[in-house]
Amino acid sequence: MKKIFLRSGLLFLCFVPGTVLMSGVAVMASGGGVMDRIHHADEPFDTMEIDTAYQLPVKTVRAKESWKGGSFRVLARKDSITRYRCSVCHTDKKVLVKDAVLFTHGDIVINHGEGDNELACIQCHDEDDRDFLSDSSGKKIDFDHSYQLCGQCHFRQKRDWLGGAHGKRDAYWAGERVIRNCTTCHSPHSPAFKTKMPETYSLPLDQ
Amino acid sequence: MDSRKKEGQMKTNDILEKKSTRRSFIKKLSIAAAAGSAGLVAGGCVSTGETTEEMGLKWEEYFKKNYRMMTDKEKDETVARLEKLAKLQDDVNIQMSNQEPREKVLFGYAFNISRCKGYMDCVEACVKENNLDRNSKTQYIRIFEMDSGQQDPTSGDGKYHHEVPVENKYYMGIQCFHCENAPCIKACPTKATWREPDGIVVVDYDWCIGCRYCMAACPFWGRRFNWGEPEVPKEELNTKQHYLGNRKRMKGVMEKCTFCVQRTRQGKLPACADACPTGSRVFGNLLDPNSEIRYVLKHKKVFRFKEELGTDPKFWYFMD
Ligand code: SF4
Ligand code: SF4
Repeated sequence: MKKIFLRSGLLFLCFVPGTVLMSGVAVMASGGGVMDRIHHADEPFDTMEIDTAYQLPVKTVRAKESWKGGSFRVLARKDSITRYRCSVCHTDKKVLVKDAVLFTHGDIVINHGEGDNELACIQCHDEDDRDFLSDSSGKKIDFDHSYQLCGQCHFRQKRDWLGGAHGKRDAYWAGERVIRNCTTCHSPHSPAFKTKMPETYSLPLDQ
Repeated sequence: MDSRKKEGQMKTNDILEKKSTRRSFIKKLSIAAAAGSAGLVAGGCVSTGETTEEMGLKWEEYFKKNYRMMTDKEKDETVARLEKLAKLQDDVNIQMSNQEPREKVLFGYAFNISRCKGYMDCVEACVKENNLDRNSKTQYIRIFEMDSGQQDPTSGDGKYHHEVPVENKYYMGIQCFHCENAPCIKACPTKATWREPDGIVVVDYDWCIGCRYCMAACPFWGRRFNWGEPEVPKEELNTKQHYLGNRKRMKGVMEKCTFCVQRTRQGKLPACADACPTGSRVFGNLLDPNSEIRYVLKHKKVFRFKEELGTDPKFWYFMD
């Protein structure tokens, strides 16, 4: 008796998805659906309305760019550079040979730019004022706004970063828009992501 | 015996077991009731090791309505009861929310298949956030390593055990797509699962009878069934919960990704999107033309998996 019950149970299970899917297609064919709703939604949503989106506990700065006519913030960078301000060491004082390894940043490995185009320090760092970066035209750029520099070459990524297809928001989808800086995720000296072991594994879809 | 049959049998056993626990529970209660309300207050039922307060709370919990039929007051009451029960039964202090959907919000998700590196930080974050059963290793998210050119994740490898990413491979994440026209909802005989106005497909665990019709109906393998009592180490329990989200599930009920309803209705990103170190996961309000997700839909090459089935998923894949 148990067996009969099981069989009919299985049969039923097989029929349910079939019929349901067919009716699903019928509904779609009659129009509507999420794409329609999206196309009709053109009124900006006030994300500040969601008052549980609190201010982040980390330092952020207002970006020197706008997006859709509004402002947004990026995660600050200078606070996470351990030896900032650079001018503390970069003075006119002579460097002693015994300090040379430390003072020449011998630990930094550049893996940015391919082949002959591998970057040299002063292509991004300002030659005269070490507390700043500088772009190809020589304009000084604050470390907290490094996207202004990265975007010179990586303009496609920058466009997507501004829009939201590259990079990511920090913690909240609502509230004031706070996104990561280029250097939050990429080491500027070696920007490619590292390989690593996966955290876990996934079972096949039918299990 | 093939595995489907085995499953079928487990199912019958399970329902029987569930019935019998319900029955014995009612029996216990009716005995208590027969002893009169004075008996309840005086603390009968010593044999079960339950306090009177616990008995009373459970009694009220047992007869509550489907969440969608509750008034606001009833919703508040059940949430308060569940908080108290968690304290009495498991000695944990939880905060349970019944935050309603926000107006003019429809949640959607986009996944960048050219950026995902297969790290699976998202999977781990989801397990912790949603109090998923550690015993059966339940996971809402799956990540597959795919050959470039390969399109069907059913043949993808999720059990890769090497450093990632690997050259010439790409990584594809699959989870519930929160279909606007969801077949799982239509399959449910008890209306225990539905789509909220903000687009999240949820389950009322107290109303689910564990028939698993929804699981069979979902073409995206989006649902997870609790064959046993879910286990979460006390020190790892996420105490910030939502009635329709990561609250304690029971044996024999269905659960699924809820777009982290306990987070997203408070303005936070879902745990997976927050944990992803590569920025492959974009989440936001589909009704807001200024949102990141709308930028992706407008400016990127996007596609939806099995779109031809007409389930209208709110989950897109995209490429740089
Ligand atoms: S992906 Fe599956 S479980 Fe999720 S809404 Fe669609 S049909 Fe339902
Ligand atoms: S398992 Fe639960 S949610 Fe799914 S169809 Fe059955 S009663 Fe409905």
